[in-house]
Amino acid sequence: MSRVDATRGPEGSEGAEGSGESGYRFGHTELPPAQADALRRAKRLEVVTFLYMLTCVTVVFATAGSSQAMKTAWVEDSLALVPPLAFLVAVRLGRRRPTADHPYGFHRATGVGHLTAAIALLSVGLLLAVDSAMGLVRGEHPPIGTVRLLGHTVWAGWLMVAAMVYTGIGPFVLGRMKLPLAEQLHDKVLYADADMQKADWMTAAGTIAGVLGIGIGLWWADSGAALLISLSIVRDGWTNLHYATTALMDERARTFDDERPHPLTRQVDQALANLSWVDDSRSRVRDQGHVFHVESFVRPLSGRTPTLDQLEAAADVLRELDWKVHDVAVVPVRDLPETIPDPG
Amino acid sequence: MSQLRRVLLLVAAAVLLTGCGSVVPDDFPADPDGTLDRVRSGGVLRVGASPRPGWVDVAGESPAGREPRLVTGFADHLAVDVEWTVAGEEELVRLLEDGEIDLAVGGFTDTNAWVDEVGLTRPYTEVEAAGTTGAHVMMVPMGENALMSELERWLDTQPSAGGRP
Repeated sequence: MSRVDATRGPEGSEGAEGSGESGYRFGHTELPPAQADALRRAKRLEVVTFLYMLTCVTVVFATAGSSQAMKTAWVEDSLALVPPLAFLVAVRLGRRRPTADHPYGFHRATGVGHLTAAIALLSVGLLLAVDSAMGLVRGEHPPIGTVRLLGHTVWAGWLMVAAMVYTGIGPFVLGRMKLPLAEQLHDKVLYADADMQKADWMTAAGTIAGVLGIGIGLWWADSGAALLISLSIVRDGWTNLHYATTALMDERARTFDDERPHPLTRQVDQALANLSWVDDSRSRVRDQGHVFHVESFVRPLSGRTPTLDQLEAAADVLRELDWKVHDVAVVPVRDLPETIPDPG
Repeated sequence: MSQLRRVLLLVAAAVLLTGCGSVVPDDFPADPDGTLDRVRSGGVLRVGASPRPGWVDVAGESPAGREPRLVTGFADHLAVDVEWTVAGEEELVRLLEDGEIDLAVGGFTDTNAWVDEVGLTRPYTEVEAAGTTGAHVMMVPMGENALMSELERWLDTQPSAGGRP
């Protein structure tokens, strides 16, 4: 049902900036100005994040020494490069228009990006958990000596604390800036990345506590703090992996944070029920990534076949519900399909 | 607004933490097993030596050579006596792990195989031998950071620690 775009003609596969309201779109879906603005800011944020995390990797690598926790922080910061990259790639692909080979468009790139980011996040959590648990079980006493800095001998722990303050502040700020954008854009890659940034700043805070603990002679402080924090990261990683996978398996659309089924999954049938010719309807709403694919099976009153105008008007009603609802199919049926369960 | 306040709090905490560097007591970092304190109160530094030409000579009554000289200097700095144990490298590592010696010398470099078992000091000198540069270190018990830091600081002050043996 993409007649809207038939008039626009081919304008390249990149999403034709400069046409329509905002000039930004996902596939055929024109972004409202608020979303277009959010997309611009999100892309800028993710580029900043990527560059910032690159500097973090360098800083931590330079100060890691033989602290196991710092080495883990280094691997982790490297993995934190994955979600921003996944976001930028997914957004770029997702904006392409449908082609003969990809009649649904490229929105699923978001799903792939979400899966990638989720695996990176879960890896970070598992890595940290295993590493710190092993350190505790083996009773490893982390050696932190001194470094020569500008002619002075300084305890290396202070450098690590300074490095962790630097690598912690960025994610703390950036992650919080991304959450509202993730909601506005309905972008789960961005959401997973915000989770990754939470993991980053929590780990940084934990490492600071751990290194200071080692400073006062508690050899287990570093591993202990890391183990506690890893549990929260593993949980976030698992949740993201779970919903990234089920979304790719056409689970009904959920909210950007996967907290609950998306309200639109119900609003579609409610909107159709308000039409004078509709007796009942049953819809499937799946999240393609940013935008939803809606198939509504509609039973007309007293078995009368609706006109083409009525059907097109029904599709328009659904599209007006939300910018995310764009790929819509309204199918008149004699009986509601039994294969589709009641959304409840 | 509350977001900004939290960021400011974090920054303030960071500044405080860094500021602590100048006010923390002398025994920071501390040894988890209290090695440095025990050496100071017991008056004895238990040192393992493994022979290595140019670095440690064990032919005499007590080990001599470049590293034993440094060890004696460090013991003088701590105002304690040295109690020598002469053994092979592997045995010294085991003694360090078991906490039976406090320090080991033997011309070790920072690429030695025991990095996971013992604590290595920051290299205190670099020497070219057979075409490669060896960065020389001493061994302390793993994670005894007060001892390690004290030794590293002292080695930094020794002009004789640098240069050729």
